[in-house]
Amino acid sequence: MNRRTFWGFTVPSVAVMLLLMVFPLLTTVWLGFQKLLLRDLNNPEWIGFDNYRDLLSDPEFWAAFRFTMVFVAIVVPVTMVMGLCTALLLDRVGRGRSIYLAALLLPFIVTPVVGSLVYKDLFERGGLLAWLWEVITDNPFAVNSGNVKWLIIIQAIWNVMPFAMITFFAGLQTLPEERVEAAAIDGANFWRNLWHVTLPHLRVLILFVGLITIMDMYRVYDQVFVWTGNRFTDAHTLQVYNVRIATAFDIGRLGKGNAMAVLTVIGIFVVLVPFLWRSYKDQIAERV
Amino acid sequence: MKRTTPLSRFGLHATLAVLVVWSVLPFLWTFQTSIKFTRDVAAKEPVLWGYETTANAYRAFWLDADDVNMWSVLLYIAVVAAICVALGQTGRRVRHGWPWFAAVALVIFAALWRFPKIWEANDEYDFLINSIVVTVLTMIISLSIGLLAGYGLARYTGISGAVILIIALGFRALPRTAFVLPYFFGAKEIDDWLTRTGVGSWDFPLIDFPGIDTLQILDTRLAIVLALVAVNQPFTIWMFRSFFMEVPKEIEEAAMMDGATRLQAFRKVIIPMMWPAIIATGLFTMLLAYNEYLFVRVLAPTEWTLPVAIVSLTGGESSRTITEAAAASVSITLPIVVVIILFQKHLVKGLGAGAVKG
Repeated sequence: MNRRTFWGFTVPSVAVMLLLMVFPLLTTVWLGFQKLLLRDLNNPEWIGFDNYRDLLSDPEFWAAFRFTMVFVAIVVPVTMVMGLCTALLLDRVGRGRSIYLAALLLPFIVTPVVGSLVYKDLFERGGLLAWLWEVITDNPFAVNSGNVKWLIIIQAIWNVMPFAMITFFAGLQTLPEERVEAAAIDGANFWRNLWHVTLPHLRVLILFVGLITIMDMYRVYDQVFVWTGNRFTDAHTLQVYNVRIATAFDIGRLGKGNAMAVLTVIGIFVVLVPFLWRSYKDQIAERV
Repeated sequence: MKRTTPLSRFGLHATLAVLVVWSVLPFLWTFQTSIKFTRDVAAKEPVLWGYETTANAYRAFWLDADDVNMWSVLLYIAVVAAICVALGQTGRRVRHGWPWFAAVALVIFAALWRFPKIWEANDEYDFLINSIVVTVLTMIISLSIGLLAGYGLARYTGISGAVILIIALGFRALPRTAFVLPYFFGAKEIDDWLTRTGVGSWDFPLIDFPGIDTLQILDTRLAIVLALVAVNQPFTIWMFRSFFMEVPKEIEEAAMMDGATRLQAFRKVIIPMMWPAIIATGLFTMLLAYNEYLFVRVLAPTEWTLPVAIVSLTGGESSRTITEAAAASVSITLPIVVVIILFQKHLVKGLGAGAVKG
């Protein structure tokens, strides 16, 4: 395919990405240096790095940062291990597999805000788990600033585990049967088999799922917002904090919100750049 | 050979059953809340069985009148579903099935259009329509431009292709706020310009949409669709590219040898092979658009889609009851469940394809 045809095919998509991704991103950077209130959008005022100084001295920013880090550090590994185990189990099921799959996929495909709402229902007054808690511990259960963090974490695991499961499951389908049989003939038991055959086969997928989950959990918004609203500021993630300072009624500071978005982007790129660099090398290698 | 003893098989199914319960318990709980009377929901100890069931909550959420027999609504939905299944099954059996699938779309459209004329629907019905319009438009635009770009990127070997792919991959990782705030600002600026110069209230004879008298961007479905198409592009082009890479070059080269242009070869030879890819990518695009919350909340203060409607209407200050919130959650989830059960195989394959190349 020559250059002209290539651009003919890609121009609509590239135009959309230039106009609605590259350009807005530059706008974000520019707005981050402005003093700009939501109720008075027509008078931006250049204030240099004041927004950033403001953010970095805000204890709520650091609270959001801390919680996001804890959140990612717990949710990602637990999700991966649980997803892998479930995928291994599913792989051994003969009949009824598609029923299990459909049921297990449900938390992943449901609208995130609705997923949080239904999960929250279990812990509301009169909810099933709140009642169980009361029966077991003899104390009434109420969502408060102390336990809401744990509820958010558990619900996030519930929400994203199916993604890891289904990806690993798809990977297991491509594992050549002969490799497993050869290992079995050599006398490998389940664990040795897992360690020497299955996991190496899934290596790329584990990296992929890990990266996607880190990205998605780092920028989580919908699910957490349903739990906290504008209360429980200790349990706000970076995105919830960001949307709150930018759009909260009457006090919305769009400039500061954009500065915060820039900080979040820088944060994710620290993780991402080595990976992007490697993908770029792969792409180039593919072309020679 | 996998050796299985009855005991290990029992253990396997038992473990999976526990996992299934953990996955679907919240949905089951919400479902049975939605069909209870308020007095049973408010009971101190949960009423798990033997309660009287009712569709009051569904009626209160969707309909204006409170004396509608909900069985008639259920019958309406069941008849429409039955017609769709019959048409769809026929379409799968015959060789060129697309007229049958088009008929399915037409039936659904007619059913949605007739519904508020038979029963008086609430505002929530408009939000459902918004959801459907946004989802369908996003899918059409996003898939068509993504399909072209994915093909170009799979076949072109220049460096610019690699650069586009890597930049798209970077965009895939960025948080929503980095886009939604400038979108909001930009849309606001354009709207201000439109009112200041009066362009917004010009009469455009050709694009005289019913019900729209001033041109604007904020608070329209168009704003949501544009935003969703944009953030979905990176994923779409990567996904399509990985599917196109599996189609050997020789196929379209043979067609071009026979005198077809590249565009003809693409349309007549490649696209018919790509239906599984289009369905898989379409499913993910559908989920993205149908589930979106933040963009809609910020860019469309009144033109809500269902997720925003549910969160806003069931929040603390609203007068909606717990049963109505539950009914809303069930109503919004059911369509996705149906689609996923119908297309489960494509979804799994799509995730596999995206992941293995990822």
